[in-house]
Amino acid sequence: MAHSSQLIFVVSIIQSSLAIAQEMVYFKDVTKQAGIDHQFQVYEGMFGGGISVFDINHDGLEDLYITGGMNSDALYLNQGAGRFKNIFVGSGLELTGNFVTQGVTSADVDRDGWVDIFITTITSRDSIQKIPRAINLLFLNNGDLSFRDATAEYKLEPFYSFSTGANFGDVNADGYPDLYVGNYFLEYEGTLSEISDATIVGANQTARGYLLINHKGQYFTNEYEEYGLDHRGFGFGAVFTDFDNDYDQDLLVNHDFGYKAVPSYLLQNQYPQKSFDDLSKQLNMDLKINAMGAAVGDYDNNGLLDYFVTNIRFNFFMVNQGPGKPFVDRARDLGMHYVTISWGANFADFDHDGDLDLFVANGDLNPNCVPMANFYFENQEGSFTEKARQVGLNDYGIGRGSVIFDLENDGDMDILVVNQKPVKDYPDSSFTRLFRNDLANGNYLKVALKGIEAESRGIGSRIEIVVDKVRMLREVDGGGSSHISQNSTIAHFGLGNSSRVDSVIVTWTGGNQQVLTNIEANRLLVIQESPEKRNLWVAGGIFLVIGLLTLFGYFKFR
Amino acid sequence: MVLTSFLLQCGKKPVRSISEHELAAAWAEMALYITKHTPSNSPTYASRCLGYTGLTMYESVVHGYPSHNSVASQLNDLAALPVPDAGQTYHWPLSLNAAQSNILRNLYNQTSDLNKSKIDSLEMSFREHFSRHIDDPTLIERSENYGRSIAEAVFEWSKADGGHRGYLQNFDKDWSHPERPGSWKPPLYAQSFSHHPLHPHWGKNRTFIKANSELETPEIIKYDTTGNSEYYQQFKQVYDKERELTQEEKEIAIWWGDDPGETFTPPGHSYYITTVAIKALKPDLIKCAEAYARVGMAVADAFIICWRWKYHFFSERPNTFIPQFIDQDWESFWPDPPFPAFPSGHAIQAASAATVLEDIFQEPVSFFDSAHIGRARDELRDTDFRQRSFDSFWAVAQETANSRFYGGIHTLQDNEVGLAGGRSVGKNVNNLEWHTAPN
Repeated sequence: MAHSSQLIFVVSIIQSSLAIAQEMVYFKDVTKQAGIDHQFQVYEGMFGGGISVFDINHDGLEDLYITGGMNSDALYLNQGAGRFKNIFVGSGLELTGNFVTQGVTSADVDRDGWVDIFITTITSRDSIQKIPRAINLLFLNNGDLSFRDATAEYKLEPFYSFSTGANFGDVNADGYPDLYVGNYFLEYEGTLSEISDATIVGANQTARGYLLINHKGQYFTNEYEEYGLDHRGFGFGAVFTDFDNDYDQDLLVNHDFGYKAVPSYLLQNQYPQKSFDDLSKQLNMDLKINAMGAAVGDYDNNGLLDYFVTNIRFNFFMVNQGPGKPFVDRARDLGMHYVTISWGANFADFDHDGDLDLFVANGDLNPNCVPMANFYFENQEGSFTEKARQVGLNDYGIGRGSVIFDLENDGDMDILVVNQKPVKDYPDSSFTRLFRNDLANGNYLKVALKGIEAESRGIGSRIEIVVDKVRMLREVDGGGSSHISQNSTIAHFGLGNSSRVDSVIVTWTGGNQQVLTNIEANRLLVIQESPEKRNLWVAGGIFLVIGLLTLFGYFKFR
Repeated sequence: MVLTSFLLQCGKKPVRSISEHELAAAWAEMALYITKHTPSNSPTYASRCLGYTGLTMYESVVHGYPSHNSVASQLNDLAALPVPDAGQTYHWPLSLNAAQSNILRNLYNQTSDLNKSKIDSLEMSFREHFSRHIDDPTLIERSENYGRSIAEAVFEWSKADGGHRGYLQNFDKDWSHPERPGSWKPPLYAQSFSHHPLHPHWGKNRTFIKANSELETPEIIKYDTTGNSEYYQQFKQVYDKERELTQEEKEIAIWWGDDPGETFTPPGHSYYITTVAIKALKPDLIKCAEAYARVGMAVADAFIICWRWKYHFFSERPNTFIPQFIDQDWESFWPDPPFPAFPSGHAIQAASAATVLEDIFQEPVSFFDSAHIGRARDELRDTDFRQRSFDSFWAVAQETANSRFYGGIHTLQDNEVGLAGGRSVGKNVNNLEWHTAPN
């Protein structure tokens, strides 16, 4: 009898724990309680919007800029304890209300220590455009929760474009963040003085992007051709990423309608030469798909960056096979073969088990309004299982850009997704959503960079850690990732049960390295660039040149 | 090629004599060059332009040939066109030359300045060629003025047909389309970035020939998703075919794709086939002009009627039905165009053209279609553009229709009804009183 009552007790424990497991929500929708009230409104279907994560006021809390399209943009100041306040009105950013905004990205353009923002637009709202085009907007951070328009000052006014996403990166490793801007339809230099039938029918052709080189924080020049870029396409922006591990900024360009117009591009930076080589075809990265965005991450911790590229119907997971070898699409065999329309995508170790999981934001082609739930792919020993419903991320809003960041500085990655207002009747709600991560229970390490000669958040740099013989790799996100968005620039690592990290290796743009060892887990580690090292390299270089010249002189004139 | 060689000859001596059929063919090639190289191109607008361009060619020379009638009075709402001055002589090739140049510049007002200068250059080179032995400058002027007056009158008439400057309204963003089971859905694997259907009001346009606007609406198989239904089986056939496409069927599918963003469009392909026949048979000028007029008006009316039926039924494509009811992973071999399925526009226009070409040329013709020779291999589909050969005009129409089935974007029903509709349209074109006496 005693035996059977014990059995009943065990069974009831199992049953109740199962019930708890079923009820437990791992990601909690905290949109409302966080004070987020946002919905992106499209101009003419489909396009936008995005988010950038950055700390406006150096208070250690990550803030958010979210584009609104035909609605107002929002600037959410993180007030701690998971609450935000929209401080857009009075911020100096109200000028954006004259435009249909799309994407946003941030960097310290003038290197004054405060993070500035760049907002892409497709047309103006204050005047009717027969051919929708407009300038993009650069705002400098005043350091007092306000911004000032620096578009003209930085010589960005001639660029009339239908721009989707933009990304900062340090192409020439001079510490001043450069910009790539993705344009969808044909771009113009200046406004059109005369609009004829010919200009109207020509307007919907493929566009060139812009490669805007930052001149000592003073102004930008478009050096697309100088860098050997000549591609056109229906651009959805790009990401700067070091796919070949040579410590410079290569460029992955997303193109819509790649199967019909122009495929996506993978361009290898030839730094210190001013040029990019097109390796798209050679490396199987000339994706002939509707490339909407990309997530960058080393999913199998093999030291090679892999790219999850979002698409209509089936996504592509381009896995890096090593130097000179073509990438291989492994979406199907790694468990990511699901029909939907995907836009944003973010790698993060959401559950802190030491490998990268993936969030994907899905949404129909507004005004088409078929609800599509988001995906959450949990990485389980190198293959993925879709668990959005189980973890509470299967929101059916019309998703676009998405970002990861640490909402309440508790060490795990939370998710924000921009959702569009449905143009037609919609069976579910579709508002921008904030999902708090209540799932992670392992250890973690966050690493923030403080550039002295590099960009102030280390954009263009990479961070690796070694923990229990596993090497993990992150790039500092310069934007254009996910879909026309920018994740937190603070690198995040899940550590599982490990309470210490053996080493942290920072490779600053251009190749200078700093190594820290024996780092305690569960903290934010801030690494300041040690310029001495760079100076040492410079001094070493000068010494070498002088030595060579001396030798040359000796042999020539002896 | 002919076009280029004419341009190259400009200013060189001695000049090879250009025959009249070469003149007509060169202008047809120019019409297709402009069609292909003008942005915001569509098969609908292209078909309309070919109708007016062909008719203009015919009417600009018809009064020089007692064997032929002007068809102006037989066309929808076109009372009359200018007639030559009685007692005056005309040089008909010069009239044709000026008329073609004028109508193309008018219909393709939206083309680039560079393209307009190409039209001007062609006109100038032919003017030099054909007027070099004419001593009377008033004959040149009179002939060209007459040609221009025909083109202007045709263009004026065109303005009221519903398709004037149609390239500015390819997609009506304010038009809300029907949504019901079996209705067309904006494609996910698409040829166009628009998610609105192309030219939803095109079916209301004025046809060239009244009898074409009176054609009876065909029957469509009833929507039914059960596995053994006729409707389901239509899509099952598309699905099964896609999985067993031979390399030649793939070549056919891409050959007839004729995407308006990259090529001269499907009706342009029919105009091209006309040129192939003309180059082979070398008929006299009036027969050339008649052929272009008949084919042009046939494909233009075919598109109007087709669009009327497409938007009446507003039926779905295999890419909508198959993933929903047969196989979620399925995707067509060729991407979807942005408009409803039933009936096939490719089939109807090809059948209308074949019907008039059979009637004009009658004798059996064997020919090669080299329209896409030289295009880069389609890497995505691992397929080359390979020359096609035919023994009859109808074989062209049948293959054009088949190509859409191979491409996975049309059911057999779409094709069969399209071919039958095209036959009717073509017959109505043939039924005009083209000739004063039996051929």
